[in-house]
Amino acid sequence: MEKKSSKKNWPVIISYIVLIAYAIATLFPFTWALLVSLTPITYTDENGNPHGVNIFDWPPNVKLFPRPSAFGAPLTFQNYKLIFEVVPLYGRWLLNTVIYAGLLTIGNFLLDALGGYAFARLKFPLKDMWFTLFLATMMVPSQVTLIPQYNMLVNYGLINTYTGMFLPKLTNIFGLFLMRQFFLNFPKELEEAARIDGSGILRTYFTIVLPNAMPGVSALAIYTFLGAWNDFQWPLIIASRKEMYTLTVGLNFFKSSYYTYWQYMMAASIFMTIPMIIIFLSFQKQFIETGRAVAVKG
Amino acid sequence: MKHKTKEAIVGYVFSLPIIITVIVFTIYPIIAAFYYSVTDYQPLEARKFTYTFNPYESLEFNTGILREEAKDYPLDQMIQSFDPVTFVEIDVGVNLSDEDKESIRKNFDSLNLLSDYRDRKLPTEIKISDFLMKYMKSDGERFAKYRPKFVGLENFKQMFKDMYFYTSLSNAFLYSIVVVPIQTLLAIILAVAANSKIRGKNFFKSVFFLPAVTSSAALSMIFWLIYSKPGILNQVLMSLFGRFGFQPIDYLNEPGIALFAIMLMNIWSTAGYFMITFLAGLQDIPSSIYEAAMIDGATGWQTFWKITMPLLRPQIVFVSIMGTIGCMQVFDQIYFLIKNLRNITISFYIYKNAFEYGKMGYASSLAVVLFAIILALSLIQRKVVKEEY
Repeated sequence: MEKKSSKKNWPVIISYIVLIAYAIATLFPFTWALLVSLTPITYTDENGNPHGVNIFDWPPNVKLFPRPSAFGAPLTFQNYKLIFEVVPLYGRWLLNTVIYAGLLTIGNFLLDALGGYAFARLKFPLKDMWFTLFLATMMVPSQVTLIPQYNMLVNYGLINTYTGMFLPKLTNIFGLFLMRQFFLNFPKELEEAARIDGSGILRTYFTIVLPNAMPGVSALAIYTFLGAWNDFQWPLIIASRKEMYTLTVGLNFFKSSYYTYWQYMMAASIFMTIPMIIIFLSFQKQFIETGRAVAVKG
Repeated sequence: MKHKTKEAIVGYVFSLPIIITVIVFTIYPIIAAFYYSVTDYQPLEARKFTYTFNPYESLEFNTGILREEAKDYPLDQMIQSFDPVTFVEIDVGVNLSDEDKESIRKNFDSLNLLSDYRDRKLPTEIKISDFLMKYMKSDGERFAKYRPKFVGLENFKQMFKDMYFYTSLSNAFLYSIVVVPIQTLLAIILAVAANSKIRGKNFFKSVFFLPAVTSSAALSMIFWLIYSKPGILNQVLMSLFGRFGFQPIDYLNEPGIALFAIMLMNIWSTAGYFMITFLAGLQDIPSSIYEAAMIDGATGWQTFWKITMPLLRPQIVFVSIMGTIGCMQVFDQIYFLIKNLRNITISFYIYKNAFEYGKMGYASSLAVVLFAIILALSLIQRKVVKEEY
């Protein structure tokens, strides 16, 4: 009897080993980057003597007591402040990223949902043609459209402008499909009840459908915000003036101009990741559910 | 109004924003990219007539007569020593093709320009194309809109002679062939482990999802630190294998290793994300199937290969299609971490041609080839699924 139960436990034990090992492997790079970002570039000891800090020292000599320290230096958040001073434009890049991700989120939030509802519920001429056409464009890699999009924006003088950055990304076919899928599974009874009460399509949409569709629409908004925040290739091409960089492109600037200042680079990397982690942890369910919905659909 | 008509109108009103943006920013660019791919589109050439200049300054240089004094000179004398081609090419400063020169020689209205100069009727700043449109008697449109030279299939022929085309394309294939199976298998293993009766399922899910919400830019920086020669990876390996003669490796600068280092990073950052997909699939498998298998005396190994894997087929296909498409287009990590041209992938080579070498025609033809490959791969993968079901 005893033997049998221990045999039964083996899969669970192996599962724990696999999961814990991979969790450590996943967390380690973040932890290491965080540690380096908290290490000062130089510090002064109690006797007032300045010391340089080498983050490649081995072993890293991490201590939590009497006060947290690593590489022989006390840990501090000062690098997170210093990146704004060393690169005065850093605040601007943060603002640019917020504007870019914010505008994209609002645009996709409104327009993809609107389109998704129309494609799921309303009958209009050539609907199937548009739908097939959209489906076909999803197969096209971004490298194909990138160059003509860039030239178009150059011709209209929209390079290095917010408009040029967000306009081509204002809607997303993927978002449209997600929303269409969502509205297909959305109970029809609500709309029908509203219609019987004499409410028009427009009013029904804005007063009945949209408020009840918030779980689906907000998942799209979160995904859009995340994608835009982390986007690199598009801002890289559209923003050639430093003032128009986003945080990801700014990171590339750090890499080329401050490549020996690992502490700053790690602070910048962690700094731009923290908002995403906060968003992820607060909306975990939507993230994982959307990932699931997309997979089931595909 | 009939309800049906009303519905059609509202349907269009609702979907018009997305239809318009897709036409303008996706469909038109796709058509344009195919057109570019058979031309020698050069961005510098395309822009050269869009710059502005000051006609007075250019004319002062050309004629040697200050704008204030131009009135004192007889017009016919000025015209005699005025050559419009030299003026445009040297004093305005635009490179002209032979046809452009021919056209200017034939059609340029020197008389009009010089008399405007004398009467001080010129603007102090004007776009070159607008200027030429104004002072060409005819054929001015040739400067208004850039027309790249049609080269037929020349770009595609050039690829066969381009070493970096082969290198970057085969690197992209290698990247996909290594990354996709490993990340898929790893994701399945993690999902199976997370689906067993364990505590802290949500904790593991959140941790594994973490790299997916982090930008590839930040991840690249973090791995740059880890992979650097004095970095922690080498330190750990040194302390483990140093006594066996292990020497620190410069992972990202070693041409034979750099791409594999990035593959490892990619597997690490996506396996956890795809695990969520498989976990969803696993939860849809009824537990009665496993119970039946257990009664029949199947081992865990047999259950995994005979039951779990076949039932996860839709997810496996989805993950491998998404993974392949993603891997074939990998860009950010390459841009950040690869310094050696031997290790670049095709999407990076497209970027380089278009935005660094100024060869947008060639870059577009490369993009068209990438498109064809991705299309073929997805169709093959889709066909495989259809036959199975």
